[in-house]
Amino acid sequence: MKKVSVEAIEVIEKSLKSKKIREYEIFFVEQDIYETEFLKYKIDTVREVKDIEYVVRILTQKGDETGIGIVKGNSLSLPQIEKNIEICQLLSKENSGSKYNFPEQKPQKPIKTADQSIVKDPIGFKSDMSEKILEEISEHKEITPTFSRFRIHIQNKTLKNSTGLNLEASKTFFYIEMALKAQSNGKLSEAWEIEYIKEKEELNIERRVNKWARIAVDTLKAKIPKPNRQAIVIFPPNVLKNAINPVIGFHALGKAYHEKISALNVDAKVASDTFSLRDDGLLEGGLRCNSWDGEGNPHKLIEVIKNGIFKNRLYDQKFAIMGNTESTGNGIRIDDGSVINSISNLEILPGDIAKEEIITSIKDGYLIEKCSWLNPDRFSGSFGTEIRNGYFIKNGQIEYPIKGGNISGNVLEMIKNSQFISKEREFSLNSLFPYIAFKNLSISS
Amino acid sequence: MIDKSDDEIISIFEEISNNFKRSNQYFDILYDATSILRITKSRSEESISVNSKKTGVVARTLLDSWHEVAIQDEIDLKNIPKKLPARKNNGDAITEYDGWKIDKEIKTKVDPSKIPINDKIKKIRELFDYIKNFDKRIINPIIGYGEGLITRIFVNNEGCQLRQVLPRIRLFIQPVAKEGSKIDFDYFSIGAEQGYELVDEVSNKNLDQIIQNSLDMLTADSPPSGKLPIILGPDMSGLIAHESFGHGLEADQVLRDRSYLKERLGKKVASEICVICDAPNIEGQYGSHFFDDEGIKAGKNILVKNGILKNFIHNRRTASILNSVPKGNGRRETFAHPVFVRMTNTYFEPGDYKIEEMISEIQHGVMLIRGYFGMEDVLGGGMQISSKKGYLIENGEKTKLLKTITLSGSVLQLLQNIDAVSDDELMLRPGTCGKGEEDFVPVTSGGSYVRTKSALISPG
Repeated sequence: MKKVSVEAIEVIEKSLKSKKIREYEIFFVEQDIYETEFLKYKIDTVREVKDIEYVVRILTQKGDETGIGIVKGNSLSLPQIEKNIEICQLLSKENSGSKYNFPEQKPQKPIKTADQSIVKDPIGFKSDMSEKILEEISEHKEITPTFSRFRIHIQNKTLKNSTGLNLEASKTFFYIEMALKAQSNGKLSEAWEIEYIKEKEELNIERRVNKWARIAVDTLKAKIPKPNRQAIVIFPPNVLKNAINPVIGFHALGKAYHEKISALNVDAKVASDTFSLRDDGLLEGGLRCNSWDGEGNPHKLIEVIKNGIFKNRLYDQKFAIMGNTESTGNGIRIDDGSVINSISNLEILPGDIAKEEIITSIKDGYLIEKCSWLNPDRFSGSFGTEIRNGYFIKNGQIEYPIKGGNISGNVLEMIKNSQFISKEREFSLNSLFPYIAFKNLSISS
Repeated sequence: MIDKSDDEIISIFEEISNNFKRSNQYFDILYDATSILRITKSRSEESISVNSKKTGVVARTLLDSWHEVAIQDEIDLKNIPKKLPARKNNGDAITEYDGWKIDKEIKTKVDPSKIPINDKIKKIRELFDYIKNFDKRIINPIIGYGEGLITRIFVNNEGCQLRQVLPRIRLFIQPVAKEGSKIDFDYFSIGAEQGYELVDEVSNKNLDQIIQNSLDMLTADSPPSGKLPIILGPDMSGLIAHESFGHGLEADQVLRDRSYLKERLGKKVASEICVICDAPNIEGQYGSHFFDDEGIKAGKNILVKNGILKNFIHNRRTASILNSVPKGNGRRETFAHPVFVRMTNTYFEPGDYKIEEMISEIQHGVMLIRGYFGMEDVLGGGMQISSKKGYLIENGEKTKLLKTITLSGSVLQLLQNIDAVSDDELMLRPGTCGKGEEDFVPVTSGGSYVRTKSALISPG
């Protein structure tokens, strides 16, 4: 990867200083992407992308308020940089919000976020993985792939601001998408899975293909689930993430508290005794793993819910100032260049029971492997979603696969009703979650 | 950054394209420049950001597979011919079309770039204050405004020289209401390939209705579960047309042997009163363009007519393999994203029923009126779409307001059970559509009111 940031940042900073701008921040990202898309067993598209962009933020202090200007661009020509800075300055004068200042550099825990073997030879690694994907799929005669995608991201990020903060990070991560189809006697079924994976070791293509192939084949025999208004349902980590992150991850924010929409009160009982949730931007294996957050504050481990009690809110710099506290490293840089208050990596602490034991402990329940789109209402926590792949559990055993029908419930209530939490945990995107069985969910069909 | 005039870019692209003879291999190159202004305001935050003309180029060639390289640095332009493999006598790997030329810029009534930024901020603040002060139960008015100017230049080795400049504008309003421990909302969203006039058209009367809708949600009832006759509002019929049905018609899914509709071309897939279309050539709509990102001219694609499946949705390659005619559905989010078969403006055409008549004929059912989100099931033909709100229908009348409702079951069953489509004017709502969980492109979907005899609903 060609590193252009050092020179470019110098030019941008020089221009900012020449305009006598006192409070500024430069965030520079260089990204290389390498992707292979497969049509069935053949390579269909090979892509390489080289991209850079930078974000300049300028502050204008206005007594108790602060205006923030944000401009994103990719032009490194001086006239365009100067124009961008002028726009940014104008925006900072027009914008008005609560008090804000850029963080100063604080001690940070160094962590490795880039795999140097990938950085050195991304095409070689992609080629090896492409072969591995085809090889693993070919092992399973009971399924056929309809399409797959494998992608490598290599990012270099630099964050510099007018307080003297100067941070760098390199990161590698992967994207895998695969649709495996099973068919028998005119019936069709599929497992369609999408995962962002931080570490090479977590790619584990063999395990993933085995699992997805099993789901596809089992779903061929799936029945529509029987209605049950008080069902016990096991959510695996990848499904649980889609429930917990948008709701608990939202209500735990300083922003939700200040907007008076948080349903979580500090020291209140909000979940079952066995339920403990942490936010950890340093969690190696979590997609948002980094020493620092989107505005340069150190990432740290924060206990959000401990043994069912809500302990701590998650703050970025802005809401920390508003709440007269310190940032917890929960400022996340989003696509338009702004920083929002959000979760980093969420981790639910493991329980003391094996996943298989959870199943044997359930008399009448469901294991949901995949929902259509859980997408809960982040304010109320309510959700209702179609079951795509799952199993009906009877007397401690998987009785038959299920597909169709709806599962509905409320995430804020659900965490009060967790009955079993597994020892085993898996990464999914920015989460490290166990398998959890919840009571009182509703199945309709 | 590609810091050249559009004419210079076309000329450079022609030069690069000349390295690839059409009889040897197909080649195309696309320039993408995007400028965006976003203003968001909520109770605790106001954010203004500018994406200042981000530019990039993507070039590709087809051998046995597509080889594609995307760059943003002008210096790398000259390396494109070296980066892409060359081959002899491979030109028939894809159907050859006649090259064509176009140079189109949509002119807006009120050019957003002529409105000072402080006037736009003032407008958003006025909207915010109006909503906040309407009723103390409104605890957080969330306003999002976005304007974009997208330039795409396309050249290929078939003689295409295409340029389009598309202005897109969108306004989103979500008044969050709270009473006791209950929090709920309704929302309002408009968007089009238009100018600032779209924002100016939002009146206080509109706002009053938007706010009242949110307040009403505080007392909404939970919807029933089970199979009932339902009426889908234009938002929801659009979600069915796009999410549940349209994704299965994307011909890349057909080539993958993944679509439940693969074997149904020319067969009955819906009731006879259904006409479903995808049309990127509708003027001024959020999902419209003059040409797609593969240089194909935008047209109208009648997908279903009189209940019969007439066409799939194609890009250049699927049309070539399946011997069909592409209508402008090969789309990229940006130069850095892949091109896929994508929908544009997808809708049910209006029918000849009166909505009052449709309601009056239901004894016990539900009306779903606010399209919220949906997810496709391309292989299985299942559906999940959610309506943020709805109404119970009892004895032929709309009665109680209902909270979020999820609709699921078989798409084809739902389409074949349609027994009435209203004569209301076609209404299209803006949104963004992902392929899987990424690659978002602007689209609209809509229709008029559609009634189906029985469908599975549950609380959402």
